[in-house]
This record gives sequence, C-alpha cells and structure tokens, in this order.
Amino acid sequence: MAKVALNTPAPNFTLPDLHGNPVSLFDYLDRKNVLVVFNRGFF
Amino acid sequence: MAQLRQDYQQFVALNTEILVVGPEDAASFQQYWRQEALPFIGLPDPHQVVLKLYGQEVKLLKLGRLPAVMLIDRSGRIRFAHYGHSMADIPSNQEILSLIEP
Repeated sequence: MAKVALNTPAPNFTLPDLHGNPVSLFDYLDRKNVLVVFNRGFF
Repeated sequence: MAQLRQDYQQFVALNTEILVVGPEDAASFQQYWRQEALPFIGLPDPHQVVLKLYGQEVKLLKLGRLPAVMLIDRSGRIRFAHYGHSMADIPSNQEILSLIEP
C-alpha cells in the first residue's frame, strides 16, 4: 500500500465527525497545522 | 489517546488541531469519546477511505491496524509521517510537538 511522502501536498479528505458534520483536511489550510492520528482501534 | 488528551493544550498552543481517524463506526466513536472525555476531533472512517488513502497498514496476524501519525502544516504539506511497526510504535507527543512551527 502506498505511503505518503514528506514535503508533498497531503491528499484532502472529508469525513463526518461524531455529530455528522463534515470535516475536511483542507478546512484548516492557511489556518492551522493538523495532526492526523490513525487510530489502531479502541478495543 | 489518554496521552494525547493530556498534551492537547500544548498542540492548541502551537495552532494545531488533532484529527483522529479510525475504522470504528460513529456509535463506537461517540461512546469512546464520551467515556474518555476526548477534546479533539474524532472522524469515524468505517469504509476506510482515508485509512487507505494514507496507507495505514493492516496486519491481520497482529489482530488489527498499526498506528500512524501525520503532521500536516498550514500550507497543506506533510511535514512528518510515522507508520508504526507495532501496536506500541507511536512517536511521543514531545517529539511531534518539537516539529511544529506555530
């Protein structure tokens, strides 16, 4: 599976949050840094 | 997650939002977020669209997914990417915080 490369543009994505509101990575462009944590599972 | 919760304000102080993406469904996320009182944003990805987009590895023999962490700066570029080699292979928050330019 392809992994992302450093210093390249991050691929955008949009997912609904816990309340069903869409959240896109690009919502934060020019505003905030984003730490994306891929969870290994809660259980 | 508990460690991330503890250090969340340090990330906020560096103008950084935390998005946690996982394969569980929304109901599982809601339950876990309530139980753990997590302050950051949870994004259920039950169809694993983003997990695949970013190449999170699945090791079936190790019963699940391996952790991965990406730091994306304000210009949208990937500044740090860590793909865990085991369930416990997660970079420390201090290591990540040291890389952030506010």
